[in-house]
Amino acid sequence: MPILSVRGLSIEYRTRRGPIHAVRDVSFDLEQGETLAIIGESGSGKTTLAVGLVRLSPRSARITGGQIVYDSGRERVAVLELDSEELRRFRWAECAMVFQAALSAFNPVITIWEHFFDTGRAHGMHDRHRVHDRARELLHLVHLDPDRILSAYAHELSGGMRQRVLIAMALLLDPRIVILDEPTTALDILTQRAIIDLLRELRRKLHFATIFISHDLSMAAELADRMLTMYAGRIVERAGVDDLFYRPRHPYSIGLLRAVPRVSGALGSVASIPGSPPDLIRLPRGCTYYPRCPFHVDDCRESDPPLLPVDTPGHEAACIRWEAVAARIGSAAKPVAEKLA
Amino acid sequence: MATMTPADATLQVRTFRRSPLSRARGHVGALWRRPLTQAIAKAVLTIYVTSTITFFLIRLMPGSPVELKIDELMQNGQMSYADAAAAASGLFDIDLNAPVGQQYLEYLANLARADLGNSFLSQGTSVTSIVLAVLPWTLFAVGTGLLLSFVSGIGLGLVAAYRRNSPLDHVVSTAGSVISSVPAYLIALLILLIFGIQLRWLPITQMRGAFSPGMTPGFSPAFIGDLFFHAALPISVFFLTHIGLWILSMRSATLAALEEDHVTVARARGLSDGRITTAYVGRNAVLPLVSQFAIAAGAVVGGAVIIEQIFVYQGVGLRLVKAVDQRDYPVMQGIILMTTVAVIVANLVADLLYSRLDPRIGRAGGASGT
Repeated sequence: MPILSVRGLSIEYRTRRGPIHAVRDVSFDLEQGETLAIIGESGSGKTTLAVGLVRLSPRSARITGGQIVYDSGRERVAVLELDSEELRRFRWAECAMVFQAALSAFNPVITIWEHFFDTGRAHGMHDRHRVHDRARELLHLVHLDPDRILSAYAHELSGGMRQRVLIAMALLLDPRIVILDEPTTALDILTQRAIIDLLRELRRKLHFATIFISHDLSMAAELADRMLTMYAGRIVERAGVDDLFYRPRHPYSIGLLRAVPRVSGALGSVASIPGSPPDLIRLPRGCTYYPRCPFHVDDCRESDPPLLPVDTPGHEAACIRWEAVAARIGSAAKPVAEKLA
Repeated sequence: MATMTPADATLQVRTFRRSPLSRARGHVGALWRRPLTQAIAKAVLTIYVTSTITFFLIRLMPGSPVELKIDELMQNGQMSYADAAAAASGLFDIDLNAPVGQQYLEYLANLARADLGNSFLSQGTSVTSIVLAVLPWTLFAVGTGLLLSFVSGIGLGLVAAYRRNSPLDHVVSTAGSVISSVPAYLIALLILLIFGIQLRWLPITQMRGAFSPGMTPGFSPAFIGDLFFHAALPISVFFLTHIGLWILSMRSATLAALEEDHVTVARARGLSDGRITTAYVGRNAVLPLVSQFAIAAGAVVGGAVIIEQIFVYQGVGLRLVKAVDQRDYPVMQGIILMTTVAVIVANLVADLLYSRLDPRIGRAGGASGT
């Protein structure tokens, strides 16, 4: 029984030119305790999707269809039908979110302790000592000095520290789902490393399920159990982490993998994807990736293909040419960039 | 440890001798770096510069008090110029023929002793007592008007921002921008003409002055009610001229604060709307308005002259105009100086309040010293 199941979710932004179809007909399941990574380039709808899951989309966004069902263990909750008070209680207690903008995630005029206490109080933890003990425990868990941090204001902490504090705060109410939206984007490479190790450690200790949004493929590879590739608001490939990295079946996933520089690879092996993502207001007919795709044939222009099962089990790709891709990539456990070099 | 060479001994002596001096220097430095010390030093400098400029500007005005008195005596008492001049010079205990530089030094010396001198025209009345008799009324009217406008403007601005583009927002912001563009004296005159003379709703002649004759000052409800009755018109003008500013400033500050990432995160954390509005949006939005409030306070105390004149309210403005008419130099100097001090104190309080409200200011000042 998946802990979170999303069916046919579509989100639009209203603009003067017309609606932007930022998320289109997205379906996936998140199992208890697993880490699901969603990858894709900027503008592919990853963050819109993540924010939409807890219904925190900006005013201009509108969920135009679909279902989000959360299984709390006692009952099944239709997230899109919650009223504002139920939604408020669902947020953070059941599904916490670590934001991309962790650096500005704290109110500048109150201390970190007040952030913790506000969060606890909003969810019925009125006992200061209980919140304090739990906050200390969690800050300890993210390798910070609790006494120093709790009395500090956000501007007194470094970027890496703020990110850890936000992670600790996300765990305050023992949520069953933690959404991490590019949690390391604004950090330097060593701090990124430390945060990844920390996340692995926390997941092992606390067993929460994670939705991990990233454009950093190497990070996704380290943390994820399963991967979703998003392109132009749709999921174009769904696979286990090894399948996606060694046996991708959608040309866009291959493009993403080839764009990552490798320390061991030849210099010429890095390649960007030619062209640019489609206009999400006026989507082209047929496969949205068709204009940039090296595998395309005339039939690709006819219709946008649904996710289809491919040669490896539990693996789907939205590409009518997946067999041609499979023939080119093969099934060997070797990085794609080396195969194509 | 056991053996101590002479070189060690001198070294010890030297460090011992130097330490009290460097420690003292450290204390002075630490004191200077404190925001409060700097603010007070700035305030003292401002007071000095203002009083100096006032001193010389007053003496540049055409017609000295002696000349005005001579004119008056010649016209009313039918005296000859020589008789009038002799009579007039006896009335003033200040020698206005002394060099200006000397007068200035005397003024500064007296000022340093907190002595503002005596009025030229009301013999024996100290300037301090004159100023203290009128300043509280102005501060009361201006302070009440400004505080009321600040509190209600912030409330309205916050609501308008939350209901952005609703009919309420349009009404409130349009009213705010219209009213804030009408000059204070026009509002005062309109109140007099419409409510006092045309409609006769307000007993404007009874409302003159600071309190009704026959009332005994004290903390009795009747007296306090009477104070508000007499100050009502100036208070309404200060209120009306400023509320637009607070509405518009608070509205835009709130709109900006609502866009902050930490507000979205607070929503994601499931905080209640009430808590987010007060502690996350409101508190951050109001910060820039605190310093704006101090600036407004200064401008209003200065601008009170015309309003008090229109309503015949016994504040510093009315007294200042009288002093200017009579060229009563010490009273003019005293009123301007005390007004300056009042405004500076208001600014100082606003600065301190600001550093309490925004930890980034207060702590930054303290941390740089370590």
